[in-house]
Formats: sequence, structure tokens, C-alpha cells
Amino acid sequence: MNKSMNAGIGWVVGAVVLAALASLPFLGNAYFTTIAFTVLIAYILGQSWDWVAGEMGYVNLGHYCFYGIGAYAFAILLVGQWPFWLAICFAVAFTALAALLISVPLFRLHGDYFAFATLALLPLMEVLAYNLTPITNGSDGIVLPVAQVLQPAYLIALGVCVVTFMVTLRINASRFGYALKSIRNDEQVAETVGVRIAPVKRRVLVLSAAFGAVAGAVQAWQMSYIDPASVFGLNVALVPVAMVLFAGSGLRWGPLVGVLLLASLQQWLLVSVKGFQATLYGLIVLLIGRFMPGGFLRAQWVQQVPWVRSLAREHHEYMRKADPKGSTTAQARELPLSRPQNLGAAPLIELEHVRMQFGGNVAVNDVSLRIQPGEIVGLIGPNGSGKTTLFNCISRVYAPTAGRVLFAGQDLKDCSRDQIARLGVGRTYQIPRPFGDLTVLENIAIPLMFSAQPLSPHDAMREAQAFVEYAELGHRQLERADKLSVQEKKALEFARALACKPRLLLVDEVASGLTPAEVQRFVEHIRHVRDRYGVTVIWVEHIFSALEKVVDRVIALEQGTLIADGPLAEVVQNERVLSTYLGSSAPPSPKAGVQKC
Amino acid sequence: MKKMYQLFMMGAVALASGVTALSASAAQGSCSEPIVFGTTISETGPFSTLADRWRKMTEVFAEEVNKGGGIAVKACNKKLPLKFVIYDDQSVPATAVALYEKMATVDKVDFFVGPDWSSLGGPVPPVAEKHKIPMVMANVATPSVYDRGLKYSWGTPFPVVPNWSARYFDMLTKVSPKPQTIFFITHDNPVMKGITATWSKKAEEQGLKVLGNETFSSELKDFTALIAKVRAAKADIIYISAYDNASVPLVQQMRQLKVRAMDVHHTMLTGALSRQVGKDIEGMTGELSWYPGVKGAYSELVETVMKRSDVSMFDYIWTLGRLTSYLAMIQGIEKAGVVDREKVKEALFKATIKSPAGDVSFDERGFPNTGAFTVQMSGGKVNVVWPPEVATGKLIWPSPSWN
Amino acid sequence: MEVLLQVLIGGVLLGGLYALVAFGLSLIYGVVRILNFAHGTLLAVSGVLASLAFSSWQMSPLLIAALLAALIFFCAYGYYHLLLRPLARRSHFEATVGTVLVTVGTLMILSDLTAVAAGATQRNIPLRLEALELGEIVVSTTQLLILLGIAVLTAVMHLILKHTWFGRAVRGVTQDPLGAEICGVQSTRLKALTFAFGSATVAIAAVLYVLSFPVDPYMGFGLTVKAFTIIVVGGVGNLPGALLAGVFLGVAEGLTGLYWKPEWAPALSVILMLLILVAYPKGVGAKS
Repeated sequence: MNKSMNAGIGWVVGAVVLAALASLPFLGNAYFTTIAFTVLIAYILGQSWDWVAGEMGYVNLGHYCFYGIGAYAFAILLVGQWPFWLAICFAVAFTALAALLISVPLFRLHGDYFAFATLALLPLMEVLAYNLTPITNGSDGIVLPVAQVLQPAYLIALGVCVVTFMVTLRINASRFGYALKSIRNDEQVAETVGVRIAPVKRRVLVLSAAFGAVAGAVQAWQMSYIDPASVFGLNVALVPVAMVLFAGSGLRWGPLVGVLLLASLQQWLLVSVKGFQATLYGLIVLLIGRFMPGGFLRAQWVQQVPWVRSLAREHHEYMRKADPKGSTTAQARELPLSRPQNLGAAPLIELEHVRMQFGGNVAVNDVSLRIQPGEIVGLIGPNGSGKTTLFNCISRVYAPTAGRVLFAGQDLKDCSRDQIARLGVGRTYQIPRPFGDLTVLENIAIPLMFSAQPLSPHDAMREAQAFVEYAELGHRQLERADKLSVQEKKALEFARALACKPRLLLVDEVASGLTPAEVQRFVEHIRHVRDRYGVTVIWVEHIFSALEKVVDRVIALEQGTLIADGPLAEVVQNERVLSTYLGSSAPPSPKAGVQKC
Repeated sequence: MKKMYQLFMMGAVALASGVTALSASAAQGSCSEPIVFGTTISETGPFSTLADRWRKMTEVFAEEVNKGGGIAVKACNKKLPLKFVIYDDQSVPATAVALYEKMATVDKVDFFVGPDWSSLGGPVPPVAEKHKIPMVMANVATPSVYDRGLKYSWGTPFPVVPNWSARYFDMLTKVSPKPQTIFFITHDNPVMKGITATWSKKAEEQGLKVLGNETFSSELKDFTALIAKVRAAKADIIYISAYDNASVPLVQQMRQLKVRAMDVHHTMLTGALSRQVGKDIEGMTGELSWYPGVKGAYSELVETVMKRSDVSMFDYIWTLGRLTSYLAMIQGIEKAGVVDREKVKEALFKATIKSPAGDVSFDERGFPNTGAFTVQMSGGKVNVVWPPEVATGKLIWPSPSWN
Repeated sequence: MEVLLQVLIGGVLLGGLYALVAFGLSLIYGVVRILNFAHGTLLAVSGVLASLAFSSWQMSPLLIAALLAALIFFCAYGYYHLLLRPLARRSHFEATVGTVLVTVGTLMILSDLTAVAAGATQRNIPLRLEALELGEIVVSTTQLLILLGIAVLTAVMHLILKHTWFGRAVRGVTQDPLGAEICGVQSTRLKALTFAFGSATVAIAAVLYVLSFPVDPYMGFGLTVKAFTIIVVGGVGNLPGALLAGVFLGVAEGLTGLYWKPEWAPALSVILMLLILVAYPKGVGAKS
């Protein structure tokens, strides 16, 4: 009730501010309008940069390239007597295409290497602009017909700013936004919960490029002259980046606040301070970096100041719509997983002579096994025996060097990791890998958003409630995942894996470090998911006491080779297994029972 | 935060609009106020390397002009003092545009002088046009920015491309032994490429065979390949059309690789080049727009200003362009006889003004016909060697050190 | 043929200089794992200082190099402790953003202060020595000296890396940060030392640079981009790799000028880097 009133007030205030801004060129003087115009352009550039950087975690230092390409494409068409709107559309389309092309090699890179490569694009573009003289007019630059276009340029820029802001809101409330955020945290895990990352990366880069191009085109129109140095110069390339980082990358109001503050600061320094302006500006940037590196909106002191605090909210705080109260405990225990229709006699997962080799190191050596639906199978072996590698072969984190993996009769050879997740394979990791800067609820909602029957974020979070309760994390559901304790993270992993609605659940050493009571709870969970929902489980574990309570059979690996496959009682008496775990001084067992592989 | 800022802006805007409406007609034509020139100088950023100490020079210029009473305004029957409003455009076009808007609407300057450089000379004149404020730009040499039908802009680059090497090529017709061939090395820059385009044509008309033209980018540090081509051509004249700073390694490497010619000519033979290449510059010829030996109009003023602000014309050859833009505006006001923008605009249209280097005539686009003297480095000193009437030293031909 | 040789020599010289600039950055990135955007500006400022020292006090370039290196070493050590080390305690995201902002701010401050103090015009050290003529090939003595300087510097760095505690620690941390820490390599002191050492290298490179080419306070960032290119191509922390990559780029630029057009030479290094990164996304020589 209160919330919708707040939202209503927000819209009204926004409309009033917009009206005031739109009237500026007509009421105010040209100086303020020009300043405001540069601020608008800076916002478009900064916010579109932040979609790739703050949301997805890829720092594109060459974002200004899109600005420059858009400016040139627009200018060339305008000089060629094309109509204005056509020129802008062409600029956007051309830059978007360029972004699509460059994304193919660029996204092979990650982290710092991505940053290096994108930074180097700027001088490359500058040289191209200088040398492709027939097209770009080289160092002469392009002289656009002089038209006093400050007012229309300003209004167009204002409109584009509003669109940019709207797009930001839309992205963050959508599945696309959560795909970006999951990539930001952990790409590999994102794939194994069903997110198709390659198209997402391309799309966000193209989107970012399109808006950058509009900024370039509109400013070129207003400047009426561009040359290679002014649109691709290194002295202006980092300015939008610094502005966003200054206030807070990844925040809803971060780019806007950052641009407003730094642009105003720059203007003030220019007109009021004689000399050392760059030093002062640099000093402020440096101090923010040193003392408030998440952006000053994320600093501690901001939480104390009332209305500034409201600007500092992270995106997920706006998603608090999923009501925390509501479901009763009994209902909460019921997970929205379907019971598979008929279990059938065909094996759910089959490995045929699977071999995984890294250079000279053979991690998985000719392993064949078959697991029926509804089985709980333990996978044991000393450290380095290839258990996690085997999991990675199944979920396609690695492609096996030889052999086949069949899931419900289907060869997984040509499947991508996210397809495999959607087919029904969920997994946890030995060291928990939650999406650290997202909340517990969001972590669990993401697989639900990208499952075979995808849900909207709102619906996914509602459905995720059941999983959260199941993992007994209800009281922590709105906390960031990286703030949880180790046990809580493991519970989160398990719940997230379940949220993938798996037919096959791969559990990787989840019990180590837990108290006996917690281990017991875990065992109960595993039995419950099999009994109630028919989930097949492969469980890698060292703690035999846990395994023995629930597994149907056990598979033992040693240095990549399968050495035992059968009921727990027999396998633990197996001589090879004993010597692997305990060394050759283990007493020989009185029972014979050497199990065949 | 944003909302507060916007409320503040709205209030400020309302106030400013009111004040603007009130004071619109007060400033112009008054006989008791100083005449205000508004300008920006690239004090920081990549262009600042070309504009050292210009703020001081500009302030000193105003002081010196005011020592003589100021600018003579006939309608007021007296001289009015000159005042400058100076901002740093940081070598960024958008910043320059905003600052000129500020000077027009907030600072309410009377006239504009400057800016420099094509990057700024493109976007800024439309602002002057919009506010109908006469503007004499300084070192903006790209002809295309003058071709846009703007009525309130003039420029005083020294020299302009069509006149750049006029005296040098004149000299070449009169020296002995007569050179037959010429090789151009061009810096990838619009002004320099324009110079090569114009003067290679003139060279051919004069009977000099153009053996080649190699272009290099500002980034280039290793000229070995380029110099190899130059050496292979074995031209009589090597004509380097480049900015001084960009060609420092070129000249040094040409020396080290023992390039030979009757003469090596440099379109921007400056003190900066001389300091950086040291003795390697010996025997080269070049262009200089003015020097203290030439006693033209306002020479004393310019000499004093430069001495007081510690700027040497040989070091910073763009200086004359800057100062002449101030002089042109002053003469426009004196010719109009009244501090009125429209009258000054008429006075400057196709006007001929006086400068220390001689008369300068503007065409209908505002483009001037400035020229330069030919100089040669000998014994570590720069001498004017052509035309012979004003020479301060004898031309040594062929070049003593390059032959 | 002679022209080709000439171009090759010039390319090796230029590439060697670029490699020197990249050495420091490679070490710093390999051990401290930060992108120092002010790296090239440090060279520009050192070059201006060197040129001033030469023209005002007529000091020999060798002395200038030694003094500058020492000065920069201490300043960089303090800089690291004061500004960069506290950031390492924060989350990965904040540490990265923080170092970007700090180094970009430093870049602005350094350029501006230098321009105000020493003027923005270009400077160099104009040392003129007679060239050697070997038949048709002319080798500039300055070039030779600089090549010698590069070789000596590379050799010294190589020796330090191979035979001193510091060098072994650096190599260990570059290859396996976690393992090195477990083995008791004291991380903070090593990082500060590496940062100081890498920056001091730049100071020496600056003196060599300014003997051939002019510097101004604003050219730094372009050089930083080039240095990044080289360490990506050569592999992080891999000094011989950086040298090879630098020389390779220098020669490639020269050949582009000879056989094609000089104005495309600067684009070449970027295109090469992009191509190499596509083939080796983690840089050449990195373990996958």
C-alpha cells in the first residue's frame, strides 16, 4: 500500500523534473543548456557502459569506440544529404553491427585481458579514422553543415536519457538482467544452472553500443565538426567510466549521480579555479578510489544520511516484492518438483568408456557405469581420483577426450552446458560457488528463471520461497550469498541445485565440515528428494557413515579408473579399495568378495 | 540529490533569464565600461604543448595596450581600456563550446578572440554566429571551416597554406646551383597535408620534379623505412611538411642515416625543434612569420609583450597568430568607431588590417592572406634569408651541413 | 637488402624500448595484479625530469638514470603502501575499481603538475654522436648505445629474477600466488618491492627513451596502452616474452612502413594483439 503510493509519488516527481529539464533550452540561457547537454550525453555513455560493466562484470574500456563510430557514421550520411533520422538510424545500426562482429573475438577474453583488449581498440579506431581518408576524410575531419541545433539536440538527448533509464529499469527487472548478474558472479556456474551466456553477452554489448552510437551521433550534430582525435582520443575515453565508478557502478542511481556530480565539478573547476584544475579533479577521483572504492554511494557514511541513502540502494533491494511472509511451514516443505511419470528400466545416466585427458595427465580412465532412475549412488575415492572430473564430464564443463555420456538415452556430445542443465542435471560444487553478490532468494530463483519452463523473475522468486524454506534459509533469504557461513552456503548450493528441477542430482562433497546433526539433516534431504520426487543422486563423499545410511550402491575410483561398483558393504571390503584408502598395510578382509569392475 | 540539483537549476535559470532580459542592451555602446574580449586557451590537454604561457602573454598584452590608454573609440571621443576573460578549454571541443556560450550569455563579453586549432575552430564559430558576436579566431588554418557561410568569423593563422612557402619557392628560382628535383615528407595533419598539396603543385609549375611524397603519422617514432625511400630518391630538395614536435625523431634519424641534399626545408622550423634536435638542425631552412628585426605595425607592442611574458616567436611560432587576432579585433573596433557588434562586423568584412609582419587582408569568408619569411639556421642562430631586402643574414647555398 | 637491415635495426631499437616500458608493467601486473594506468605517464614525467636535469645541470645520462631510478623507487614504494595496499583488503570488485580510480587520478595529477612546473612543450636529451657507416648501412651511434642500454638492463633484470631471493619470489608469486603464500613468501613486502622495482625500471627506460624521442606530459596514456599490448602478447610476468613481443612489434611496425604505408604502422600492434588474444585468450605462454 505504502509502496505503491511511494511509486506514484516517484513518477510524479520524475515527470515534474523532466518537464523542467525539457523547458531549459527555452527558458534558460544557452550556457546552461550546453552544460546540461554534455551531462545528458555523459549519462547516456556512462549508463550504457554500466550495462556491460556493472551488470555483467566485463569492463569495456573501449566503450568510446561506439561513440566515435556512431559519430562518424552519422556525420558521413548527413554530409551526403541524407535525412537526419535516417542518418541516426544508420549510425545506430552500423555501430550495433560493428559491436556484434567485434564481440565474437572479444568475448573469448575475460577479466583483465578483456579490459586490455578493449582499451587498445581506441587507438586502433583513431588510426582507421585517420587513414581511411576516402570515407572519413582523414585528419581533416568532417565538417557538418552549420545549423543551430542546440535545442533539438538537447531534447533528443533528453529523450534518449529517459529511454536509457527505462532500459536500465527494465533490464534489472527481467531475466536478461539476472543472466547478466549471474555471468558477473560465475560464468561456469551460470551455465550449469541453465543460463545461455553467449547470446546474452552479445546482446548486451550490442545494446550498449547502440546507445553509445546515439550519444556520438547527437553530439556530432550539435558540434557540427568531428575529427579522429576528438572522438577517439584517449584523453576523453575514460571520463564516462570514471564518472560511473565515482558514484557506484551497478547501482540504479549510480551512473546518474556520478555524471551529475563530476560534470558539475568539472564545470565549476573550469570557471572558478585558475590553474591546477586537472590536479584537483584527479585528486578527487583518487581519493574516492582510495577511500570509497565501490563508489561513494556504497560508503559507510552514506547509510547515515537519509535521502542520499535512498539513492544508494542496490538493484535487488527494489525486487523485494516477493513477500517474505505467507506460506505455512507445512506447505513450505512441499517443493514445486514434479514426480517423473514412469521411472522405467532404462538407465538414466550411462557412461561408456569415458576418458578425460589433460595433456599427459589422464584424469578419468575408461570409466563405464550405468545408473538407474531413482538410485542413490555413492562415488568414493581418494583425492585426485577423478570424481569431480567425472562430474565435470557429465555436466559438460569438460568435453571427454573419448567415450560417450548418455542421459536418458541421449548422447550429450553436442549439448551445451545450459542445455544439459535444462535436460535435468543439477549439481553442487566441492567448494560452494554461490552467486556472491546476489541474495539467497535470487540465487535460487535464477535456475527457475532459466529452466525448461522459464519463469519471470517475480514468479521465480515466489516459487523459490519453497526451496529457501526447504534449505532452512528463510531468515537469511534477503542477504547477500557471500555473507553466509560455509554451512549455509552448502545448504544454498543444494537448494539451488534442486531449483534446477533435476532428474539427476550431482552432489559433490557436501558433508565435510558439518556437525553430525547437520550431516544427518543432509542425509534426510537426499533421501527425501529421491523418495518424494524420484530424483536420482550421485553423491561424492568421504564420510562413509553418511553414505551408508542412504546409498543403494557405491562406485569407487582410483586414479581415474573404476575399481569397484556394488553395495556399500561389499565395496568397503574390496581389497583394492582398502589399499587405496588405507595403504597396503590394511589387514586383509576375512570375506573374499573381490568385486568385478 | 538529483531532485535537489534540478530544483536549484530551475531557480538559477529563472534568475538568470530575468537578469538577461534586463541587461540585454546595457553593455554595448557604453563609453564608461572597458571593452571585454572573451577567449579560451588550451592550457591543459594535448594542445597545451603548443600554447605555453599564453595566458600570461594575453594579460600582459592587455596591460600594455592599456598603458597607452586602451582602444580608441571615436564615438566616445576617448580610449577605452581592454579587458580579457580567459578560460582553459582543456583541448576538448565540447568544453570550448560550453565556455564560449558562457562568455556570451553569462559573462557578457563584447567580442570573441581565439580559439586555436581546427578541432576547436570547427564547433566554436557557430556559437558566435548564433549570438551575433564577431569572432577573430587565431591559429585555425583548415580552409573548410571557413567555407560554411558564417558571417561573424575571421581567422589569423600565420601563415596560410596558399602563401606558406611563397618566398621559399621564389628563392629557389634565384639560387645557383639550381635544384631540379624535390621530395616531400608530410605529417598526417590537415594543415600539413594542405601545404604539401598546394606546394607540390606549385613546385611542378616551377619546373621542379616531384620525386615522391611520403606521409607519416604523429605516432611514428622509427623513420628508417621512410628515410630509406628518401635516400633512394636522391632529390635536390627535401621538403618536410610537418609539425615541429612530430618531426624531431625524423630530423635526428635523417642526420644519423646521412641523408644528403642541397637543402632540407622544414615548414615549422621552430625553437622547440631546434632545442630538441640540437646541432642536427644546422643548415636547414624554414618559415618564420615574424621576428624582431622586421619593423612592421605594432612591432614595439608585440616585442614588449613577448619579452615581458618570456615568450619567443622562434620558440612558439603560433604566437603571432594569437596576437594578431587581438590586433585585428582592436583595429576592427577602431575602424567602426563605436563599440557595437554589427558595426565592427561590417568594419572587419573584407578588411585589411595591419600586423607586425605586414598588411593582412581578409577575403569574404574571413580567411586571411598571411605569409612568412624564409629562414635558415646557421651557427646555431636563425637568420632571415629571403626576401633579400629584409634579410638578417646571408643565404648559404647549397646547405653547408646537408650536402 | 641494406634497407631491410636498416629497418630491422630500427625496429629492434624501438621494440626494445617499448619492451623496457612493458617490463615494469609486466612485473607489477604479475605480482601485484593491478592495472597501473599511470605507468606510461610515469615514463613521460621521468623523461621530462631527465631532460630538465640534462639541460639545467648538464648531468650525464647515466647519472640521471641512476638518480631517477632511486627517486622513483622510493616514491613508488611509499605510493603503494599509502594508496594501493589498503585496497587489497577489500572485496575483489572494490579492489579493482579502487585501483582504476587511484591510478587514473594519479595520471591526471602527474600530467598536470608536470605541465605546470616544467611547461607542456616537448623535451628530449639531444645527445649527438657520429654515426658508423658499414658499407651501405649506416648505424647511428645513439641507436647502438641505446640498444646496449636495453641489453644491459634486460640482462640485469634477468639476473635479478633468477638469482636473488626477490627474483625467485617474484617468479613464484607470478606463477602460483596461493602456493607462494603457503611457502611463506611475505606477500605485502614483496608486492611493495615489486611495484617500486617495476616503477624504477620505467625511470631508466625513460632516460633511454628520451635520448631518441621527445616526451611531453600528456603522452603517457598512449604508451601505457602499448605496454599493455606487449605484456598481453608476451605473456604476463614473462620478461623474455615481453622483450620478444616488443621487438616483434617494433620490427613489424618498421616493415609495415617499408613494404606498405607508414601511417598504418600504429594500427598494426593493436591488430596483432587482438589476433594473438583470439588465439591465446589468456595470453601467450599462460597455462590454461
